[in-house]
Amino acid sequence: MTIKVGDKFPQGSFLTLGPDGPAPVTTDELFKGKKVVLFAVPGAFTPTCSAKHLPGYVANADAIKAKGVDTIACMAVNDAFVMGAWGKDQGVGDKVLMLGDGSGDITKALGLELDATKMGMGPRSQRFALVVDDGTVTHVAVEEGGGLDVSAAEKVLAAL
Amino acid sequence: MTIKQGDKLPSGTLKIMGADGPQNVTTEDFFAGRKVVLFAVPGAFTRTCSAKHLPGFVGHAGAILAKGVDAIACISVNDVFVMDAWGKDQGVGDKVAMLADGSAEFTRALGLDADFSERGLGIRSQRYAMIVEDGTVTGLFVEAPGAYEVSAAEAVLATL
Repeated sequence: MTIKVGDKFPQGSFLTLGPDGPAPVTTDELFKGKKVVLFAVPGAFTPTCSAKHLPGYVANADAIKAKGVDTIACMAVNDAFVMGAWGKDQGVGDKVLMLGDGSGDITKALGLELDATKMGMGPRSQRFALVVDDGTVTHVAVEEGGGLDVSAAEKVLAAL
Repeated sequence: MTIKQGDKLPSGTLKIMGADGPQNVTTEDFFAGRKVVLFAVPGAFTRTCSAKHLPGFVGHAGAILAKGVDAIACISVNDVFVMDAWGKDQGVGDKVAMLADGSAEFTRALGLDADFSERGLGIRSQRYAMIVEDGTVTGLFVEAPGAYEVSAAEAVLATL
């Protein structure tokens, strides 16, 4: 079952790289009482993600937050160390929270996994963006066909 | 079955970043007709790996190559984009080839996989080093869980 508008975001826990190493961020902590734009990429440091997807959200962060969004978060089936290193590399600062779903548990619970084994990347996530309001999904934009369109920062901003 | 000294390395295809993007490299091609020191880490950008293991091999590359070793390679269950980014971050230059076993197929074939799902890392590799001569394992140094001793550059250098 793939997540859809009106669904509750599944329970789980991400890891983010804090000053003392990986620290858990539960879905309750992330979503409770907040409006969150969460976007997912197949892999940190991959060309589309690094060149367009994440930089788009960094560039549009202020405009997105001006629409009443409390948190912008980026998730991938990468570990917290890789997500932290990628965020630093891309200069996200405090504009985008970098969340590792390293074992893919939340991605699977969303029904948005992608088998990239043949590309040498193992189980990953589809590219998508969600708007989550107090834990309930209010917008779903899943990319089809490998491009960057509906989940891009500009498109999500327009949907807010 | 875990690989042991005297065994032929199993066949597999790894990825390495080339000038035009990810390239496949078969283990037959990579190890044929030469002496290689191969070391494996549980994850790129993780603390022990970034702080000690990889830098140790970069620092000792000259001394290792002077012992008749033709190439030094680092392998991990990370994708080629992450391995390339980590190599650049750590300034490996042409001293250490960064090999990606993103889907863990080769690591599993060696019997050296490790399940770090509970730490948000999924299936990874144990930390080890091996000496491979023309495709045959002539030295094998597998760390106990969490340890960093026998696979360190200094320790491997002392056995050459």
